[in-house]
Amino acid sequence: MGNFFSLVQNENMKIYRRVRTWVMLGILVVVNLVIPLLFSMVDSEGATSIWDSVILSSTFTFFLCTIFSVIIAADSVAGEFSWGTIKLLLIRPWSRSKILLSKYVSVILFSLLCTVLLTGVSLLVSSLLFSGSADSNMFTPGKSGLVFTLQYILCDYVNLFITVAIAFMLSTVFRAGGLAIGLALFIMFTKGIFMTLFSPERYTWAKYLIFTHMDLTSYLQSDVGPGGITLGFSLAVLAVYYIVFMAISWYVFKKRDVAA
Amino acid sequence: MQHEPVVRLEGVTKKVSSKTLVENVTLDIPPGQVFGFLGPNGAGKTTTIRMMVGLTSISQGDIKICGYSIKEHFETAVSNVGAIVENPEMYKFLTGYQNLRHFARMMTGITEARIQEVVGLVGLNNRIHDKVKTYSLGMRQRLGVAQAILHRPKLLILDEPTNGLDPQGIRELRDYLRLLCHEEGTTVFVSSHLLSEMELMCDSVAIIQNGRLIDVRSLKDRSADSQSAAIETGFLVDDPKKALSILEGAALQDSMITLKITRDEIAETNARLVQAGIKVYGIHTVTRSLEEQFLEMTGGDQIG
Repeated sequence: MGNFFSLVQNENMKIYRRVRTWVMLGILVVVNLVIPLLFSMVDSEGATSIWDSVILSSTFTFFLCTIFSVIIAADSVAGEFSWGTIKLLLIRPWSRSKILLSKYVSVILFSLLCTVLLTGVSLLVSSLLFSGSADSNMFTPGKSGLVFTLQYILCDYVNLFITVAIAFMLSTVFRAGGLAIGLALFIMFTKGIFMTLFSPERYTWAKYLIFTHMDLTSYLQSDVGPGGITLGFSLAVLAVYYIVFMAISWYVFKKRDVAA
Repeated sequence: MQHEPVVRLEGVTKKVSSKTLVENVTLDIPPGQVFGFLGPNGAGKTTTIRMMVGLTSISQGDIKICGYSIKEHFETAVSNVGAIVENPEMYKFLTGYQNLRHFARMMTGITEARIQEVVGLVGLNNRIHDKVKTYSLGMRQRLGVAQAILHRPKLLILDEPTNGLDPQGIRELRDYLRLLCHEEGTTVFVSSHLLSEMELMCDSVAIIQNGRLIDVRSLKDRSADSQSAAIETGFLVDDPKKALSILEGAALQDSMITLKITRDEIAETNARLVQAGIKVYGIHTVTRSLEEQFLEMTGGDQIG
């Protein structure tokens, strides 16, 4: 029956036909233009390299990227419920799983678009403004700036990917966009505090907490994280959490009685 | 296969925790009819409809649409259905046309020409490219009907379709449903608590109260076989007591003698009364409106 691509196309239409989405993308572009500009103003020695600028600006702007993706994810399912359109959506010849999957795919596509836009703009502006060749001490010796930068952004994206999964699950379970956005962002901003309070160095069980593993950038400098955890271990823990989040979303969405 | 019911509800029950919303409803909806689903507020109409389109799970029993179980073959069963459940909610930030494209993409074989045809049918040609948030309720209702009939469903389900429509809108909808039913052979299932409305719109009605089906009846009976059917007839006479003693099976109702007789018997009865020297002032067919019948059946008690 039909093809799955048209479902994704529908979801994309519902994302990109809204003014809000373009405002968010606009803000993302502007911020990524402005931040390297500000760096170039404070950089009096002219020694900063392109990669330094990209990484520094992405530490700021990736927050925005995550927030916007979370907003889209949170609204994806909850929006249909609050608009009442869920009733029209679920009475088509498509299983609920496929409808939810199409929503999830469109959310991920949006987050990828944001990430590519962020990287592209900041790379472009940085390459125009900076020419310094001195690689800062941020980098692991022996890695080129490009590789390090891409790995850094990949780590940021993993963080975003998990946060978005949390928002998507909350949106599906509670059908309230505001709650999903709030809780997902709460986790995003407080995971540092959790990590300090419950460090795997102090408590062994803390290495199974999701907060310990969401920020993978530390593995770019050293192979071993706090409490002797490794990248492989972190990825495994994240994968388990991710599967649980997705399973809960799908289970709840499939079983739910759609009532007023 | 002509008379195979389009929808078959088999002992359908819906329980939410300890509350039974719909209890053991068994109902066949024949094809090519406008079928009304009547009941007071909270009787279980919307719950039943939600189960028919798979929005809500069925606690017990099964619902088959065109022979396919909504439980086991959801996708096949529901592809025969077009519906508006409660208010016609649309994506307000999209235009009417984009909304239709959206739903067209979810079904197979809907051409651009079909979308245009449906837009014409519901009379939205001039406004279809405006955003839905600028639409009036009546226009949204039309757009709702448009999305429901896009794929030429065999069964059209409308939950309280006249809610919030003005008299003209109601009339248009009624005419339109009749047209769909008679021209395209679509079976239309309409729920409502507006009895007079249903009386004008439907061929048959099922009445539900407190989650139980209490009656299914055809509304065509009144006009059909009027030659032989016994009709409740009232005689307005000067001496009701004398008349009562002459006529067997007659009853006195508000100073009127009533009895159930056929057309020919009305004339005979009249002759007998006249011969007995009773003055007959008037002969009426006592038709009870659906509303009266309904209140009688549901005992007039509202939300239970």
